[in-house]
Parts: sequence; structure tokens; C-alpha cells
Amino acid sequence: MATREEIREALEDYRERCNGNARLRKMLRSWTRTCDFRVLDADAGDPVAFTVTITNGEITDVSDGPHADPDLVISATSEDMCDMFWGDLNPAAKYLSGEIKVVGSQQDVLRVDAMAAVIWAD
Amino acid sequence: MSDEVLRRGLGLRSVVSTSTGLAFAAIEYLAAASLLAYVSGSLAWVSILVAGGMALLAWGFFSELNGLFPTAAAIRLYMQRSFDDRVALTVTFSYLTTVVLVLAADAYIVGAAFTHVTGLPGWVTGLVIAVLLGVAMAANLRGVQLAARVQDIATLTVVVATIVVAGVALSKHRTPAAIAADAHRHHGAAAFVQAVALGVLLYSAFEWVTTSSEEVRRLRDVPRGMVIALGVLALTCAAVAAAMGRLLSQTELDSAYPQLFLGRHAMGQAGYVLMCGITLVTAINTFNSGFITASRFVYATAREGSLPRGFARLNDNAVPWLPVVVIGGVALAASLLVAVTDGWKVLVATGAALEAGIYAVAAFCVLRLRRRQPDEERPFRVPAARVLGWVGVVVFGLLAAAASVSVDDKTNAVPLLIIVLVAGAAAAYVLVGLPRVRAAEAARRAAQGPRRRRPAPPTVASQEAAPTASKETA
Repeated sequence: MATREEIREALEDYRERCNGNARLRKMLRSWTRTCDFRVLDADAGDPVAFTVTITNGEITDVSDGPHADPDLVISATSEDMCDMFWGDLNPAAKYLSGEIKVVGSQQDVLRVDAMAAVIWAD
Repeated sequence: MSDEVLRRGLGLRSVVSTSTGLAFAAIEYLAAASLLAYVSGSLAWVSILVAGGMALLAWGFFSELNGLFPTAAAIRLYMQRSFDDRVALTVTFSYLTTVVLVLAADAYIVGAAFTHVTGLPGWVTGLVIAVLLGVAMAANLRGVQLAARVQDIATLTVVVATIVVAGVALSKHRTPAAIAADAHRHHGAAAFVQAVALGVLLYSAFEWVTTSSEEVRRLRDVPRGMVIALGVLALTCAAVAAAMGRLLSQTELDSAYPQLFLGRHAMGQAGYVLMCGITLVTAINTFNSGFITASRFVYATAREGSLPRGFARLNDNAVPWLPVVVIGGVALAASLLVAVTDGWKVLVATGAALEAGIYAVAAFCVLRLRRRQPDEERPFRVPAARVLGWVGVVVFGLLAAAASVSVDDKTNAVPLLIIVLVAGAAAAYVLVGLPRVRAAEAARRAAQGPRRRRPAPPTVASQEAAPTASKETA
């Protein structure tokens, strides 16, 4: 089980890669959303969640805790969450097998997946 | 989904209009007219309501499967867990064909209607089809799509206008041409079964709204919305079929645009123009949702590693461009083929057979998953599933078989041949191409190696220091 710090480190690295990718920024230029990343296997008394704010394609904020009114909620185990941010797993395969759960519009789901697809492209 | 509060969640009204809009393509008018080849005009509505009853059975299956897998990936998930993965993929790819067929049919109908209205030569139909699909593809590639509210309005406009025109038509006396056409129809049990099989096509795609499960405010709105949509479709299509049987001649029913004649008979030139506009709105709605649904499904399958990686490439508008181009290309080829051969009735029969076949598969998935995942939570359960499930498998299987060997009241195996070719191509890919695609993907991932930075394992010294540190902190 990955710790909160490990997920946070992975998320910060992910943020850096996304914001540094010119093609991705262009692709998501008019996309502004609030995404919640929720860890499914966190201890019951210590729920782990992060709110990621994306403004015109740029990740402008990563904060601890869930958002009250998000556009998109992504839930996964801590290990999958970490591996996803590091690009070590295929998020689409995990989503299609039901291991990663996403709640939100299909267009937003595609864009979130696009972030991983573009920054980890060959 | 039910327990999440989303800023942009969809309500019941959007579920109803999406489900109705996905089902109500321009091909509905042709399917309603085709149905009149099998049953008397005054009884057409009965076959549509019986087909509606069948669709209600399918609704039960899809509602249970949707509750089990409330995700856009549901189709992939319940097929995968009910069958071997290769069979699941073959069925899923065949399922996708219905979307492409509907796109092709709508493009053809609008093209043919345009040529008819303007009085231009027949070859212009092909040109109009190419322009229509080209514009739809270009709009999709640029990331243009109708907002949910616009789609709601478009669907409402189409349904209300169609019901009004059909209602006015039903208030008119039967025309001599319609009486003459009725006299030549068969009235046997076999003909009625064929009519019900075609009737199933009128409801087809209502279930695609289940892919929006992740964006609805309350999950229970999906089955509720679908059943309301089935009611709206039953009412609209029954009215259209009854009205066509009352006023249209056989030549008008055999045309690719019977709805235009219905408009003219009911409301004169104004009705004719109104139905021209409604046909165009219906097609725009179909192009919008059809391209998005099909291309995003192909994209997700490619991202999963079950299709070549090229299908997962995105353009600068975050649109998977290759799936859009391929789906548009296939729809264009099918549409032009129909325009050249005038074989739109083959398209209608193929669509009906595929859809009935998919409903039989859904029934089987419900049965299989009840056995394989008996304890899984099911917000919706089909009552007497063991009986109704097998009823669904047998009845929809028979309807699929009936629709696949009959075109326009004559035995014709072309729809069956098309389905065998499509399923054969999908199976060939799954058996030969897929292992290579998956091997290449696995090799690519293996070559990359892990990127994740893992924390250094605790050293002996740090382990010894840890209790001291916590004491100091305390």
C-alpha cells in the first residue's frame, strides 16, 4: 500500500510533466475542471484524497482532501494511483477492467486519460 | 453516479432525451414504412407495441447489467465477465457495427431526400452523402459537439413535430392508394413475426445511454429514463406507422423518404418542408452522438491495448482522429453502396437482426452473471431472471434469425451474409491480429521499465533510530 507522501510525490511529478508538455497544454487549452483523486484502500479513519484544479489545461493547484463539488472523481487503490501518476500502468486498461473508477462526463474522462496518454507517449 | 455530487451531473430529463435521441434516427421513418410490407396499415401499431414489449424485456436486462457495472465501460465489462475475452471482443466489435450502419443510413436518407426535394439527378445523392459525412467528420475532428441542452431541444423538436404530423395524418380519410397498397399485404403469423423483428429496430440504441452512467446525478435515473424513452418511442413510431399506412401509396412507402410524403399528405407543402427540416435535425443528432459514441469506444479499446495504438492517437483538439476517420470512411462506403444499389431495405434488415442479436446476448449475460457473480450488488434485478433470461435469448435469437433472411417481405440472405462477414472479420482480427497487438504493447511496456520512485527500504540504523525519534517527538 502506497503512503500519502508517495502519492503526493507522484502527483507533483505528474503535475510537472503535464504543465511542461506543450502539446498537452495546447490540447486542453480551454479545459477548466476540478478533479478529485480518491484512494480506495486508505485506512478508514484516515481517508486520502487530493483535489487537482486544472485551469485552461494547466494544473494550477494540488491540495489535500476531497472537493465538495468536483467535476470528476477518480478512485483507485493507492498502488494503482501511484503507478498511474508515474506512468507505470495503463489507466485505460484498469478503467475498462473496473479497477479504476471514474465519475464524470465522458468528455472529461477522455481528457483526463489524454493527459496520461500524451505525457507518457513514446 | 448515485453517491457522488458532481457539478455537471445529468438529470432524468437528459437521460430520457439522450436515450430517445440515440434511438430516433432518420432510419426510424424507413423502418416504420418497411414494417408495412408485412402487416396491414391499421395493425402496424400492434406489431410496434409488441416489439416495444420485447424492448421492455431488453430494458430489464440492460438495467440489471447497468446497475452491476455503472460505467461507460459496462458493455466491455459485462461481455468480458460473461464470455471468453476473445468472444467478448468479437461480439463488441459487431455491436459497434450497428452504430456505423445507422450513420450510413442517415447520410443516405438525407442525401436521397435532398435530391428528391431539389429535383437534381440521382448521382447528386452520392455527392451530398460525401459532403454530409465529410462535414460531420470535420466537426468531430475539431472537437465540435452539440451541448446536452441543444441535444435535448433537438430530440424534443423531432418527437413533437413527428407526433403532430402523424396526428394530423390520422385525422384524414384513408387514401385510395393506401387502400390499394394494403390489399397486397400478407397477413400471416410469419409476416407478423417479421414485422415485430423490424419493430425492434425502432427502439434500437435506447440502451446506449447506459454509457452515461458515470455522469448522472442518480443512478436510478438511467433505468427510469430508458423506460420513459421506450414509451415515447412506442407512441411516436406507432403513430407514424399507422399514419403512413393510412395515407401513403406503395411507391411512397418504398421510397427512401416516406416521412416527406407523410408531411405533404398531412399538412400540404408546409408539412413537406417541416419533415425535410426534421429529417435534417434527426441526422445531425445522429451524426453527433454516433460519431462520439463509436469513436470514443474504439479509442478506449485501443488504449486498453486491444486495437493498434494508432487508434489511440489524439489530435490537438483531444479527439481520437483515426477512429473518427475510419468510422466516417466505413459509413461513407456503406452509404454510397446503398445509394448505388438502392438497397436501404437491406440496411434496415441488417440493423434489425444485429440489434435483436445484441438483445439476446444481453439476456445471456444476465443469466451468466447471475451464476458467476451471484452475490454482487444489483440495484435493479430482472424478476424471474432464469425464466425471462432464457425467454430473451430464444425470442431475440429467433427475431434476429427472422430479420437476417428477409428483405421487403421476400426471402433474402444478404443481411445474414453481411452479419457473417462483419462477425467473421472481427473474429479473424481477435484470433490473428489481437495477439500480435497485445505482444507489441507488452514488449513496449517491458522496454520502458518502471518509472516509479520507490522510497528507500529502511536501513538497520534508521530502524534503530526510529523508536528514539518517536520518543523524542512524544
